[in-house]
Amino acid sequence: MKSWNELEKSSFFDANARERAVGMCDKGTFTELLNPLDRFESPHLPVLGTAVEFDDGTVTGVGLVGKHPLFVVSMEGKFIGGAIGEVNGAKMVNTLRLALKAANDIKAAHPDEYDVRRPIVAISFETGGVRLHEANAGLLAHAEVMDAIQDCRRILPIVAVVGSKVGCFGGMGFVAAATDVIVMNEQGRIGLTGPEVIEQEMGKDEFDASNKALVYRTTGAKHKYIIQDCNYLVEDVIGDFHKTLAEIADIPMDKIEEMRRIGSLKLVQEQQDLVKLVGEMQPKDSMDLWKYYGNEDPAALPEMTTEEFLKVVKRRVRA
Amino acid sequence: MALLNLEFEFESENTQTINPEWFHMGVTGSGDMEVMFIKKDLGGKVEAKVCTPVVGFDAVWKSMLNKFVNDTGVGNIVIEINDDNATPIVVYMRLRQALAEATAKEEK
Repeated sequence: MKSWNELEKSSFFDANARERAVGMCDKGTFTELLNPLDRFESPHLPVLGTAVEFDDGTVTGVGLVGKHPLFVVSMEGKFIGGAIGEVNGAKMVNTLRLALKAANDIKAAHPDEYDVRRPIVAISFETGGVRLHEANAGLLAHAEVMDAIQDCRRILPIVAVVGSKVGCFGGMGFVAAATDVIVMNEQGRIGLTGPEVIEQEMGKDEFDASNKALVYRTTGAKHKYIIQDCNYLVEDVIGDFHKTLAEIADIPMDKIEEMRRIGSLKLVQEQQDLVKLVGEMQPKDSMDLWKYYGNEDPAALPEMTTEEFLKVVKRRVRA
Repeated sequence: MALLNLEFEFESENTQTINPEWFHMGVTGSGDMEVMFIKKDLGGKVEAKVCTPVVGFDAVWKSMLNKFVNDTGVGNIVIEINDDNATPIVVYMRLRQALAEATAKEEK
């Protein structure tokens, strides 16, 4: 594996789960929990004759950003599309529970210094949702993760980090929406039903999954950034994700709460306003919405680099 | 239908081992594999365990692992592999790649 210094300059998109986990923490601070040597494999896959992985496709562990403990969950998309089953789901849930326990312990030991030592959780999503080989256990894991995220609310920030090949789809799209903050690079994609599945169910006229530009305009990070589903859009460099996490770790919890998308009556109304708007204007493409929010030349936005885009983009104004 | 677990043992004259106590590399992606080397005193021998969904290639695994042991002169290690339909040349390449990383000097 690359050294930490090399990782900081490497592409987040190209990195595997372990490289992302190490690179998001400060140098030399990452400790993996349930590493490959523990051989925490799925018990369901061998019965079905499907290959197994020592870490069940998810790297979990803890490191530091400044004085803040950073709990990391990092999914590996190359192993069964990063799908969530019983074992890697449990690893994810227990990392969140461990972070909450750490927060309570730190509060008890350093009551005056909680803000500077407050833990933070980063979940690097690369997944299509439930692992169908172990569907019930996988679904249960989704529910437990959302429960654990809710338990951490107003105590420590949960950050969704999306910027890998598979994107974040299926049930895990819901989970990402339930986090406090979402950080993406330009290649990051979030959605519920994946493009191929929409095409398969509703036909090519509804959604052409082979049209990459259309797929990125609809599920990609620039669109999510404009409609405020993504809080931070960063360059595709692991070091930039690391810096952004360090920044978020210092933001007060009431400001973190304002970055959420779901979880209060006010936010439900905000989402309903958006649904109402879409119903009234009947957009044919994401670009119609971009124009509505004040971008004069929406067709130019997808061609821009992240830096240029961030300079000129107009976003939806949150109520 | 179930996964196949293969176990092999190779004699080795040499005892070139790895730097850390254990080393892991790779992902069980389609057409790929992951490997773990574990340091263990086996009197120079090499133990190998392979977990694969592909049936009927026991002899190919044996000769490929044997070639790896002979070419590199490793000894006193356990090799554990999780495979998902990797071809023999991919297996050999991943093993050499992992050994190169596991024996590289750590940079500070």
